[in-house]
Amino acid sequence: MIIGRDIQKIYGMGTVQVRALKGVSFGIDKGEFVGVMGSSGSGKSTLLHMLGLLDRPTRGFISIDGIDVGTLDERGRTLFRLRRLGYVFQDYALVPELTAQENVFLPSMVRGMSSHECTLVCSEILNLVGLGDRIHHLPSEMSGGEQQRVAIARALVNKPAILLADEPCANLDSKNSRVILDLFKKLNKDLHQTIVMVSHEEWHRSYFDRIIFMKDGEIDNEKNETPVS
Amino acid sequence: MFEESEVAFFLAKRSIVRGNKGTLYLTILIIGMVFVNLIFLPSIISGVAVLFNQQSIDYSYGNLVIEPKKNQVYINNVNELQKKIERVPGVTGVSSRFLTGAAITHKGNAVTPALYAINPDDERRVLKTASKVISGEYLSEGDTDQIVIGYRLAGNEDEKLDVIPSLGGVDVGQTVDITFNNGVTRQYRIKGIINSDSYSTDSSAFITKKEYESVFGLDNKANQILVRTQETGNEDKMRTTLMSFGVQEKIWTWQEKSANFLNQIIGSFNIINFIGTIVSLIIAVVVIFIVIFINTVYRRKQIGILKAIGIDRSIIIKSYVFQALFIFAIGTIVGFFFLLLILQLLAANPIVFPGGPVAPVVDTMLIIRSILSLLAVSLIAGYVPAWITTKEDILSAIRG
Repeated sequence: MIIGRDIQKIYGMGTVQVRALKGVSFGIDKGEFVGVMGSSGSGKSTLLHMLGLLDRPTRGFISIDGIDVGTLDERGRTLFRLRRLGYVFQDYALVPELTAQENVFLPSMVRGMSSHECTLVCSEILNLVGLGDRIHHLPSEMSGGEQQRVAIARALVNKPAILLADEPCANLDSKNSRVILDLFKKLNKDLHQTIVMVSHEEWHRSYFDRIIFMKDGEIDNEKNETPVS
Repeated sequence: MFEESEVAFFLAKRSIVRGNKGTLYLTILIIGMVFVNLIFLPSIISGVAVLFNQQSIDYSYGNLVIEPKKNQVYINNVNELQKKIERVPGVTGVSSRFLTGAAITHKGNAVTPALYAINPDDERRVLKTASKVISGEYLSEGDTDQIVIGYRLAGNEDEKLDVIPSLGGVDVGQTVDITFNNGVTRQYRIKGIINSDSYSTDSSAFITKKEYESVFGLDNKANQILVRTQETGNEDKMRTTLMSFGVQEKIWTWQEKSANFLNQIIGSFNIINFIGTIVSLIIAVVVIFIVIFINTVYRRKQIGILKAIGIDRSIIIKSYVFQALFIFAIGTIVGFFFLLLILQLLAANPIVFPGGPVAPVVDTMLIIRSILSLLAVSLIAGYVPAWITTKEDILSAIRG
């Protein structure tokens, strides 16, 4: 599903260079729920940005769904993100002028889905994340947890191959965090959704199938977990 | 492509409907005012041109002016020529006259205005001067010792109020002395005073042709024939017709006779108008640019996120271009209504120029040109800031 080989990222091309990733190699199978953990500055978010095609590695190879993403041009990368990746950000990142439903069906519209199809798919996904009764609410009218669930619904609407989540619970209290993590687990289990999630909360570990621990830009170790049922 | 435009339109619509209304209304108002500015001044200039053109026809030249052949002082056999021209289809009036200079004096005030010697009945068929007598009467065919003068020439007792050298406030019934070019001096009673709003007419004096001929011992001559035609606008065609009827003298159209004067006025106005138009368009560009730029910079993070979830940069740019187009469209409509309001006010209270009241002339081409120029600047002002902001890489934008 995802193959990464010798991924390096060096910031700053002058005299001061920061090696954020120092040659990371790994593989993630379809249907896995993988956590990327590590201390601040360990390179976990940088790695997620590479997998999410938000940034290009300085060196190395990344293949997603059998495609060498390094060969894609800017337009190709945009289309790849649209069609094969779902991204959930730490701070929800919803468009404030759009309702929950509109935020969710925006990526579908870009794919050319009719507004009727969009409405149907959105209702289905918003029901799945437990927001069936909030579809016409603006982000400003929803709680943080609800906004993050809308963001997850948006990430899922195009049925992505991989769902990438960058510390999605960082701005949420533990109750809402649990709701989000339970939702991820449900998606992973029921829809066989591949998920890669960055986290630094110890108690999140129980949700992951496998954890990649990062330290100083390298994979420190990998560990299989006994997930919560 | 169509889906992209549809999404861009959707984003623009939501941003307008649910975005900051105060900024939107203010921007629309400014664009409306720019539209008014683009139309108003040129329409006044056109109005001035129309006014001066009409005055040239009504008070100075008629439609065509016939003058002596090269190296000749007079048009000979003018009575026959006049009759011949009167028979030309499309000609409604012909007036043969003398245009000369003379010295006019009254109680120590001496002036040298243009002096016209006319056949009053013929002149009535060509010019409207006779209808602009504000005091006394116009000349009659048999008048010999009578003169009609323009109100500027009559002047005021207080010479500070005069625009040109005057006779110091003469009135109907008073007498003036005229010394002609041949040295003959005669006394004339002021029969009427004219106010036509035409600068040249109001600065001139008029006696009968019969009187002038008796002073100079001339007969069946003139140095100018004015021709009035049924329609204005086909002067070139009428000139050809007159030539085909055997008129061998020089024939000028009223446009040719008044070209220098009018072109100078319109030329000066057009420079002012050009500067005004450029300034207006720059204001429009700057306002829309700033509004869109602030909007995009404020939403920099959001733009980064849209790109991150797979929304192409071109869609985001288009959404801002659509917003700029919306501001342009509504601004133009608002400006149009403002313009109608101003035109209504001006119809009730016209701007009075030295040549008379000016009605703004708003033609379709002027409106189309203004709309297109405003559309062009709106597209540029919408596109460029969106292009600049969306150029930033995704992570920098998201991090803000």
